Amino acid sequence: MRNGPDRLRAVNVPQPAVVELDAVGSPVKIEMRSSECGMRNGDVREPVTIEAVRETWRIDDEWWREQITRTYYEVLLQGGARLVLFVDLVKQEWFVQRP
Amino acid sequence: MTRTPRLTSDTAACCWIPLFALRCETARRPELASLPLALLAPDDTRRLWQVAPLARRSGVKPGMTVSQAIGLCPALKLCEPDPVHYDEQFARLVAALVTVSPVVEPVELGRVFVGTDGLEGLYGEPEGIVEAILMRSAECGMRNLPNAECGMGNAECKGRRREANDPSLKFRNPQSAFRIGWGIGKFVSWVAATRAKPGEAVIVPVGGEAKFLASQRLAVLPLDPDTHRRLLQLGVKTLGALVALPEEAVVSQFGRAGRRLWRFAAGLVSEPVVGRVVPEPIVAALTFFTPVGDRDLLAHALDKLVDRALGDPRRSGWRVQVVRVHAELEHGASWLVAATLKDPAATRERIAAPLKTQLERSPPAGAVERLVVEFTAFAPGTAELQLFARDAGAAARAGRRRALQSAAREIALRIRRPMLYHVIEVQPWSRFPERRYALIDFEP
Repeated sequence: MRNGPDRLRAVNVPQPAVVELDAVGSPVKIEMRSSECGMRNGDVREPVTIEAVRETWRIDDEWWREQITRTYYEVLLQGGARLVLFVDLVKQEWFVQRP
Repeated sequence: MTRTPRLTSDTAACCWIPLFALRCETARRPELASLPLALLAPDDTRRLWQVAPLARRSGVKPGMTVSQAIGLCPALKLCEPDPVHYDEQFARLVAALVTVSPVVEPVELGRVFVGTDGLEGLYGEPEGIVEAILMRSAECGMRNLPNAECGMGNAECKGRRREANDPSLKFRNPQSAFRIGWGIGKFVSWVAATRAKPGEAVIVPVGGEAKFLASQRLAVLPLDPDTHRRLLQLGVKTLGALVALPEEAVVSQFGRAGRRLWRFAAGLVSEPVVGRVVPEPIVAALTFFTPVGDRDLLAHALDKLVDRALGDPRRSGWRVQVVRVHAELEHGASWLVAATLKDPAATRERIAAPLKTQLERSPPAGAVERLVVEFTAFAPGTAELQLFARDAGAAARAGRRRALQSAAREIALRIRRPMLYHVIEVQPWSRFPERRYALIDFEP
């Protein structure tokens, strides 16, 4: 769903994220603005440690059109904030999205 | 015992503006005319109510959910409905038609029957009557309702429509979306209106009803879907084909409803247009315990009296056009003000506003002992208006929407760009969070 004048504006659009992975491919750090992960110490882009991965799921859809394949991670950040990340397995890009 | 006089007319002109609400929106915001546009339903904003032809070409239909419609037409422009505005516009049209004939029967938004019995003396043949109706509708601004079949030019639009059959006559007012059908009874005039091109009229001469109806499709009959399907399965596609069957055979298949349909199709049913008698003046009065000179208190009392008069059952279905206030003052003096509303209204704010202005400008010369509000002239409303008037919840919603619109206008003036959005469900069941909800511009 694209945004623009005279169109519907999508809510909760995924934002690109830089994610650091461990040896098995699980996210361990995410680089994002402090405000985005619920912290108030300025608006500096800095890596935040992921304390735990609470849940993981995969979505494969629209294979008949333009395939969407994502693996979602619901994670707990250092400091207690909860976040949903996903990796677009087609483009191998990471995104962050509100739960 | 007094008998209520009945206003009826056997000959009828059906005035029809299809997609009336949608046209009101495009008249108000012409930039929408070239977009694939749809109005959200007033009672369920997840569904579509009226759909412009440009959007229909993408497969969008009324009653669809927003998500279905967006799936078919991603560029679809959605508008929130403003039923009060549509109602006001329709009331203007009805008020204009009352100046042509006293027998006027509004049926739904955009469709109204005008009784034309006895108008020959004023306007001559039906052609003259139709011309008078077209002129009045143009004078009240209905000509401005665009005949944009959304994106389709007039010439192209006309080219795509078939000419109406003989023996009908046609009149042309190409700027208008107005269609008129004239004939004996409401059914014939309605079918004629559906055959008319935008801005034109189809006149069915007296005695020519059966011939005119014979070529019309079954869908013009008031049929339920099952009967429609069964008739099609029997090979009956036109009213002429239905009439060709023996009446008793149709009755044996479809019962009493079949007889009614057969008689409609044969042009034997002629339902007259039934107008309404304008109510007598409605009066609400208040006697104060002690004479009142305070203007705020008088304004408050005025509000209460207008409310009480609006609540009179005789007012239902009518808008107030002329209102008078008179006061009995201390020491035998009196005070009188009157207001004629340019746009007849059925809301306290709009009726009381000119009275309060006059109260400020020329207040009573002494303290008021008794205050009387009188509605002395009325303009017809619509069935929808009656619904709004009865449904306090709907009225409150309309009031809140107006307040919100006013606030939105102020915000837009201050920050100079639209920053207000309305959240709608698009695909709430979607596995992709970004597809579940969306924002549309909140445009006052």
